[in-house]
Amino acid sequence: MTEEAFVEAFQATHPDLVVSAEVLNPKRVSVVVKREGFLHVSRSLRDDFGFTHPVSGGAVDYPKENRMQMIYYLMNPESKFMLTFRVDLPRDDLTLPTLTQVWEAMSFHEREAHEMFGIEFVDHPNMIPLLLPPDWRGGYPLRKDFKGEGIVE
Amino acid sequence: MTKPYFEPDIMRISWGPQHPMSGQTRILLDVDGEKVYRIIADLGFTHRGIEKILENRTFLKGIIPMERLVMADTPNIGLGYVSAIEEALGIEVPERAHWIRSLMCEMARINSHLYAFGLQAESTGYFPAVFLWTTVDRAVLLELFEELTGARWSFNFFLPGGVHADLPDGFEDKVIEGVHYLRRRFQDYWVAMVENAIFEMRCDDVAILKPEDAIRLGATGPVLRGSDVAMDVRRDEPYAAYGDLDFEVITESACDSMARTKVRFREIGQSLSMMEQIANEIPSGPFRTRVPLFVRAKAGEVLSRVESARGELGVHLFTDGGMNPYRVKINSPTLRNMFVFERMAELDEILVADIPVVINSIDPWYLDSDR
Repeated sequence: MTEEAFVEAFQATHPDLVVSAEVLNPKRVSVVVKREGFLHVSRSLRDDFGFTHPVSGGAVDYPKENRMQMIYYLMNPESKFMLTFRVDLPRDDLTLPTLTQVWEAMSFHEREAHEMFGIEFVDHPNMIPLLLPPDWRGGYPLRKDFKGEGIVE
Repeated sequence: MTKPYFEPDIMRISWGPQHPMSGQTRILLDVDGEKVYRIIADLGFTHRGIEKILENRTFLKGIIPMERLVMADTPNIGLGYVSAIEEALGIEVPERAHWIRSLMCEMARINSHLYAFGLQAESTGYFPAVFLWTTVDRAVLLELFEELTGARWSFNFFLPGGVHADLPDGFEDKVIEGVHYLRRRFQDYWVAMVENAIFEMRCDDVAILKPEDAIRLGATGPVLRGSDVAMDVRRDEPYAAYGDLDFEVITESACDSMARTKVRFREIGQSLSMMEQIANEIPSGPFRTRVPLFVRAKAGEVLSRVESARGELGVHLFTDGGMNPYRVKINSPTLRNMFVFERMAELDEILVADIPVVINSIDPWYLDSDR
């Protein structure tokens, strides 16, 4: 499946849930979906569109626009283009259903996004810090308003 | 995940971070006698916050901390970041620079794979000498690096727009000489290690990772190719000079620890042939486009991918019109493979004594997974 064919088919399958779907570059496709249908669209990406190979996940903080964007990097082993699957979250309500129920390997990346950005992944099976020390109380380091507080007792 | 770990017969062993074979991480093993039920990787001992450091530096200064991800493999890691900058700033790279970059990337891949291979020999417990052999042979590459860049480990040789310097006079001949030497040694290793009965006993059929599991769990690099899945960024999205070079994606169908070791081993042979091709066919011309030191990138984002020795490295660079990156997300290969390692006790029966073999077949580099 080419990038353009995927974007067309994806938009036709989920017309109400897609905010935007576009080909950024050759081999790079970006999809932004609404938070309501997030889990449903993820399952459809895996089962209907063949994105069985999870690559990574991470977030970007936009404090000026009062939002954060969670990004999942996915790959289809046959068509071999990189899909960045995104969802926007308001900064005062950072909850998402966990995608470990769709791609098990997103566990590490969601744990990292949780400790670095403070995003809550509902029903994650093992939400403990991945990289930061277990007694870390110093805030969320990769947020833009983090000033290097360190451990506060 | 499915087995409760508080069953009375199950004991939890903490392995590392001081253990000679574990590297800078701690592995928790839930064992019942010799059998391992559950593996938990406790990462983060070498977390330095490189993604945050990169946000506070100009594009050019970021190359230096970026290369600290994998010291044995700095050209590949540096290329991931440099090519992202080039795409964001719209910089053209001369043809010769692409070839010099590919040459260095392949040399670093051999360096890294030899190191991994020496550790794998060490982890089986029978071949301490092989680690010393590989160390000596890596010196051949380090001397080539030293002549080309002036440094032996961390080069910072790739700059946006090309490379720092041209090849010195007669460097191509020295590359060929090094390739011939390493080819001879390659034969020695194959006979002494890969075809050795003890090494086979320790590695064959240990920690089998089926192709569908490798894809589902997000394995990458030699781990994925050792499970018979032909995915390689150099082939799928040719960057640098890989579009012009003649090579094939190496896979092994046995899917065990031996297969993963063999993939690395055969990739050394493949990289040697690429080094030879580059030394013979490198085009002449300029090696660098001049780029101003302080530049502003217009707002946007770039996702660059390169095949490092441990697998696919992705650099997702967000720019907002300033002189620094807005955010850099590094998709590290070791983090993906460590998740596969955590699941291996559920996929296949693993004994405690196999753990060093299994973890070295993943070839982890914790500075990379922790960032």
